[in-house]
Amino acid sequence: MKDEVFNELADLALKGSGQSIPKSKAYLIEARLAPIARREGFGTMEDLVHCVKSRANPAFISEIAATLTSKDTRFFRERGTLQRVLTDVLPERLKATNTGRLKIWLAGGSTGQEAYSLAILLEDELPPALRGAKIEILSTDICKVTTENARNGRYGHYDVQKGLSIHRLTKHFNRLETGQWEASEALRSHTSFRQHNLLESAAGLGKFDVIICRNVLPGMARSARVRVVESLASQLVPGGLILLGQGEGLIGLTDKLEPARDFRGAWVAAGTANAAASAA
Amino acid sequence: MKTCLIVDDSRVVRKVAARIIQDLKFNIVEAGNGAEALNACRESMPDAVLLDWNMPVMNGLDFLRALRREDGGKKPLVVFCSIENDAEHINEAIRSGADEFIMKPFDADILESKFAEVGLV
Repeated sequence: MKDEVFNELADLALKGSGQSIPKSKAYLIEARLAPIARREGFGTMEDLVHCVKSRANPAFISEIAATLTSKDTRFFRERGTLQRVLTDVLPERLKATNTGRLKIWLAGGSTGQEAYSLAILLEDELPPALRGAKIEILSTDICKVTTENARNGRYGHYDVQKGLSIHRLTKHFNRLETGQWEASEALRSHTSFRQHNLLESAAGLGKFDVIICRNVLPGMARSARVRVVESLASQLVPGGLILLGQGEGLIGLTDKLEPARDFRGAWVAAGTANAAASAA
Repeated sequence: MKTCLIVDDSRVVRKVAARIIQDLKFNIVEAGNGAEALNACRESMPDAVLLDWNMPVMNGLDFLRALRREDGGKKPLVVFCSIENDAEHINEAIRSGADEFIMKPFDADILESKFAEVGLV
């Protein structure tokens, strides 16, 4: 890929989704944009860039930026963290609220595997303290197609075999004639999916007890990370927490959040870590 | 080191699976059908069995039922690995004593994930 073509597309990704794509990963751009290039009849990435510059179609540019984001996910990724949300965090949050309602947001939830994993835990391992609670799981992704796929809850042969036991697969998914496996109605009743760009205001999504944002921030430019983190922080209910992926941190990015005590990877509103520690 | 018995009538599948499972720190024993596999288990019971369904002489399901009746035959964790991947076949394998089920074709990530599900890695 020519430098000027790479630069145009990398700039488009940065502006559209906050992603910082190094030149060493130019192959990712080609791989991810190949379906769009085919659909639109472009022979090369150069043709695609030429079209983007000459047509200046905002919807097409947004689609390209969204398509360039990573879709990497799997069922029960960092399983221990999800289980701790269920057994420790949610019961404590329920005690702290008088609505009987808890909300979880998977920010950058890709094709929905993490949302359905949480729903499986709610179905299979609901602690007595959460009985009767209304627990809502919202998963958002910047990409329209990815969000639609997550909402459909249909997964292929390879996806359902990574992180999901055969017992859970046959219990919670129905095999379709196409060979795909479809999430059960019970799983769907816990989950909803929306297209959302993390660079934009999340005020319309409401407030959340738990926000899970894993493997999203590391691929972003620093300025975008700051913006996203502050946006996530503003969507937390008092006493709520944000969970990041293994090895991800926020130190130096924001003074609105601090690490939760005794829960690695969890962040709470600054000045509340001690209170959150006793809750978790 | 744990031992995994790979039972498949395809030499290619056995070879590919052996490479992946060796990387997971297992000793490998191979068998081309259920009868050979049963003899191997009588000699030395493995920790894990990766088991194909359709094989000549003795198929995977008959082997599994026979294995579970052997002395010490409840010990190995059995991961079925078959192209028969509809819910009916899967449930039959589980009812017959399989601990996990891999739908063919598979890759290293799937195999490792399934071994992890049953605590083998």
